[in-house]
Amino acid sequence: MHIPDGYLGPASCGVFYAVMVPIWALASKIVKKTLKAKQVPMLAIGAAFSFIVMLFDIPVLGGSTAHATGAVLIAVLLGPWASCICITVTLIIQAFLFGDGGITALGANSFNMAFVEVFSGYYIYRLVSFRSSLKSGRRVLAAGIGAYIGITIAAFLTGLELGLQKGSHSPYGIKESVLVMTGVSIFAFGLIEAGVTVMAVKYLQGREGYFEIKTS
Amino acid sequence: MKSKHHNFIQRTIINFLEFFKNSLFFEEHALRESFMQNLSPHIKFLGIFLIVLLTILMKNILAIAVLYLICLLFALTSRIEIGYFLKRTCFFVPIFAVFIALPAFFADFNFALVFVARILTCVSWVILLALTTSHTKLLNALRCLGIPQIFVMTIGMCYRYIFLFAEVIENTYFAIKSRVGGRVHYKHGQYIASWNIAQLWNKSLELNKQVYEAMLSRGYTGEPKVLNE
Repeated sequence: MHIPDGYLGPASCGVFYAVMVPIWALASKIVKKTLKAKQVPMLAIGAAFSFIVMLFDIPVLGGSTAHATGAVLIAVLLGPWASCICITVTLIIQAFLFGDGGITALGANSFNMAFVEVFSGYYIYRLVSFRSSLKSGRRVLAAGIGAYIGITIAAFLTGLELGLQKGSHSPYGIKESVLVMTGVSIFAFGLIEAGVTVMAVKYLQGREGYFEIKTS
Repeated sequence: MKSKHHNFIQRTIINFLEFFKNSLFFEEHALRESFMQNLSPHIKFLGIFLIVLLTILMKNILAIAVLYLICLLFALTSRIEIGYFLKRTCFFVPIFAVFIALPAFFADFNFALVFVARILTCVSWVILLALTTSHTKLLNALRCLGIPQIFVMTIGMCYRYIFLFAEVIENTYFAIKSRVGGRVHYKHGQYIASWNIAQLWNKSLELNKQVYEAMLSRGYTGEPKVLNE
């Protein structure tokens, strides 16, 4: 789902940066306030975890790549604002140090994966799990549904953003881009993301204190 | 088919680990005394950001080609082996871009060419920045550009964890391979992979405690410092 440099026009890049700057500032403020000093390394570990998960990607027609992100899993475990920081950090490292994803498209990539995917997935998880016990099966299911819907919404948005650039920066229109990106997510990576999240939450439910780390 | 899947996973893991180990040499290039390395990280960062932005605006293949050639020239004057630079810049995104643009080449050749050239040029400039700037200086530049401290600190720490996690994955992969011996049904393979991801997270929680204690022992008081400060 990484949009590299050159796929979006300067105006689109500017709009997404303008949207993300206040979100990053707010995330920074909230996490700084709620994060306990001993949880600081967890942010970096969460980001590294997401980095590893994101590396297994495949190119898809329509202009981008498809992969799992671990974004909703991190949101369930650390909270959505901390997850927003973790995913942004992952995207920054990929863009600046490895040339994967773009520096001009960083705002758009962060909007899709660090904001929309994280928050939609997290609040779907909250809605489905609704006051159930931390160790209940419902919570595991809720995490899976949240992850599946979250990544699919992000993939849909990526397709939409790329499709809107047809004629100037992207070779494909909205129909092709949205269909391919959303389809790959619905039938492949959404399932992988949900599977990974379900298994990880289920496994961690058996461990003491995994929800206690939540920061926001 | 199963064998192909197995080889694909093996290839992915091995290529990924090899790529990371190679990327450690980034610092080696950044430490060389030469043109780009001697530039201020802030100027380099802003300059390259503007060049990437300019490339995105361009529609003329010749103008993009000139920017690309300038980038290659800068890489050469910065004592970066050109073969290595081309390998690094073509490894990820440009190959994907060619694959993505393949059908478009038949419909509108010029547009597809500009599309791929634009991406190759952007990626090359960004990789040039990464190769000629030590990561500490690059992080420091991000801090000075107003990026919140919590992001800069997390980036610095995360970078080191990535290598650690890569090692964990490599060890786990070879441990499973040496014990399983024969073929594993793909469903069982998915099961193993999911448990491993969860176990990786569990190890992360344990690591968190150790890292925090290490930070305290080095004088961490809640306000992180970048090495150059």
